[in-house]
Amino acid sequence: MHLFSPILLAQAVSPDDIQREYERLQHNFHFLSYGLIVAWLVLAVYVMMMVGRERRLKREIASLKAMLEERQHK
Amino acid sequence: MRNKLLYVLAGVAAVLLARNIYLIAGLPDEAAQGAIFKIIFFHVPLAITAFCCGTVACIASILYLVKKDMKYDTVAVSVTEVGLAFLAGNLITGSIWARVIWGIWWAWDVRLTSALVCWILYASYLMIRHAIEEPTQRATLAAVVSIFAFLDIPIVILSIRLFRTQHPGPVFLSSTGSFPHDWTMIIFGPLGNQLALLLIATVMTMVRLGQEQSQREIDALRREAHAF
Repeated sequence: MHLFSPILLAQAVSPDDIQREYERLQHNFHFLSYGLIVAWLVLAVYVMMMVGRERRLKREIASLKAMLEERQHK
Repeated sequence: MRNKLLYVLAGVAAVLLARNIYLIAGLPDEAAQGAIFKIIFFHVPLAITAFCCGTVACIASILYLVKKDMKYDTVAVSVTEVGLAFLAGNLITGSIWARVIWGIWWAWDVRLTSALVCWILYASYLMIRHAIEEPTQRATLAAVVSIFAFLDIPIVILSIRLFRTQHPGPVFLSSTGSFPHDWTMIIFGPLGNQLALLLIATVMTMVRLGQEQSQREIDALRREAHAF
């Protein structure tokens, strides 16, 4: 019989081992989620910064154009 | 036209990402590392995208120094800023992966340290730009810094081949690597995550280029206002 048959393995594995393995997998999965959330969050924050900058630039262009027009009328 | 192209590229990137996330979610956990190993599907493409941005910035900087045309400076600053965001994502995902597998958030080995130095160099490139008022002087100095910062990219890439590092050796397209072919295709395939992230970086760079052009328009309007 093969040394690592499923029956022998099942006998060797205790409920504590299963619980430990379950916790390890949960821990792994949580960290995977954190990693992916943070990576996308960095890019999302950068996109939000770009949106904010876009608004500021448009405001600034509009106010400068208005100021120049006002001066030309004077 | 430009806006339409932006929307199309962003849409294609979103579809590719959704497809790849679906594929990655369906993959079995890696035998030794478990679920955390799946972070590689984003960790590696983030780094490659950042290095592509660094390469484009270096080429644009050389072209600026040769031709003295401000449009190359605009490309360099836009692509550098986007690359910095991607490299930050790479460093953070790597650190979280390290916490699970090595038990520590950071190791001062050659790969990690050179990648951090790369991030700092490109961050200083952006800081230098803020510090110099005169546009030509700013563009010239920034171009030199960008070329200097680019020298770190080959060091980061080759560090795992040339030095003994805590970071694992190459697993893709390498004789020592054992990454399954179908998993490799999810990253480097024609519809892979690498293409999706490159498309996102392209869209971001195009938006950033538009902003730089607006900034130049503002500078011209200010000069006009001063002339009155």
